[in-house]
Amino acid sequence: MVSFTRLSGQATTAVILGLAEQPATWRYGHELCQQLDLEPGRLYRALMRLADLGLLEAAWESEAPADRPPRHRYRLSGPGRAYAATLAAGPPVPATTARGVGGIRRRPRLQGT
Amino acid sequence: MAAWLVWRAWWRQAGVRLSALDGPGRLLAAAAATLPAGRRDWGEAMAAELAQVPVQERGARWRFAAGCARAAVFPPGGSRVAVGVAGVAVAATTAAALATGAVLPAGRVFAPTFIGVVGGLATLAVARSHRAGWAWPGAAITGLGLAGVAACMAATGYYLAEFPAYQRADPPATLASLPPVTAAVLAVLLAGCLWLALRPPRWLLPDRRARRFGVGMAVALVAGFVLTTSRQVLGNPPGSEGMVFYLLIGPILVVLTGSAAAAAVGRSFRSGLWACAWAVVLGAPLLIAAWLAEALRWYQQGQGTVLDRAGGLGVGVNLGDAVWWPLVFLAVWAVPLGVVGAAAGSARARERGDPASTT
Repeated sequence: MVSFTRLSGQATTAVILGLAEQPATWRYGHELCQQLDLEPGRLYRALMRLADLGLLEAAWESEAPADRPPRHRYRLSGPGRAYAATLAAGPPVPATTARGVGGIRRRPRLQGT
Repeated sequence: MAAWLVWRAWWRQAGVRLSALDGPGRLLAAAAATLPAGRRDWGEAMAAELAQVPVQERGARWRFAAGCARAAVFPPGGSRVAVGVAGVAVAATTAAALATGAVLPAGRVFAPTFIGVVGGLATLAVARSHRAGWAWPGAAITGLGLAGVAACMAATGYYLAEFPAYQRADPPATLASLPPVTAAVLAVLLAGCLWLALRPPRWLLPDRRARRFGVGMAVALVAGFVLTTSRQVLGNPPGSEGMVFYLLIGPILVVLTGSAAAAAVGRSFRSGLWACAWAVVLGAPLLIAAWLAEALRWYQQGQGTVLDRAGGLGVGVNLGDAVWWPLVFLAVWAVPLGVVGAAAGSARARERGDPASTT
């Protein structure tokens, strides 16, 4: 379940809305830091929180060049997109409404890991 | 020698990989190593993104690594609960300070320090939790750890109530049985042992046989101590006077051989280290409790201090001795012996041709 209070952080909201701009595109941590002007610690805490709540899909690159390690990439899950739409639509969502967003898993697992 | 053995084992496993990293990479690797098991992937993800920051931009790399390290050390999940736990810890510490100040003045440093450290550890654990529950070290470790800490607390409380100070004949003086620094050291030691017995870090847990060896070694250390003091009281000392003799010999017999056996059986240097660590963690509070209990018996029979049979000192002097001497001997003497034993045991396993014994 997602409670609104757990998603009320500015960084978390910024990450959701930032990812929602191109919901189908996989994004990377360093890129998101620069795009959202977020300090890496805040970004990764927000990403972990979203993944915990099932709002984020995370997966490793399947084919990485030999000269660098494979990168972790992110995009909003179905419930994440629904929640982003709710966020973008208007004022803060009451907890009861936020809880009802799209069948969110309690303990999501990272994909491709 | 022990430090060199530990360094060599660490270098074989992680040193070569770390040597290829720059400062920010090492900082991030160290912080990522503290992540709970369920979040390990995030550490690798951060390291992969650090590789995207150009090596020439050293400031940017340090900033990126420091930010990621903060997220790794304090991942999300329990911050709200942690605030509540921290509040309870502060309230309990304050209450302990007020209560002991009124009821047991000699314990006014020990009791609040103990509760404060336990509360701090609980707050840290909750702040870093990730719904994964805690790693259960097993009934034997938890039971022995709780028994040791409880016995030590009870004995300390008894001494503080009955012998808050002692007389020294030469030069004449009245001294506190548990001075503030000793009280703080004992409190931190007991809180740490309690925490390790209840919620140990995962790197202490992988080898069940090593844990069993550690439990056995702790029991053997304390049993040997009690047996030796009984022989001393009966007027049949095995060596020099007092228990300094045992503090020197006991760790050789128990920790050195036990760690070697654990390493040989576990076919790993680390198995020996884990067994040694558990022996020290579980043995320390039990040894202090046994020391304090035996001291009463020694004084009833006019034997002087447990440490060296010194006369002219009140029984309360044993409280400080029971903290410092076992602590010093376990840390400075027993742990290096355990490391050497682990190296010897793993070398023995290697001679038998087991490739796993190189770590």
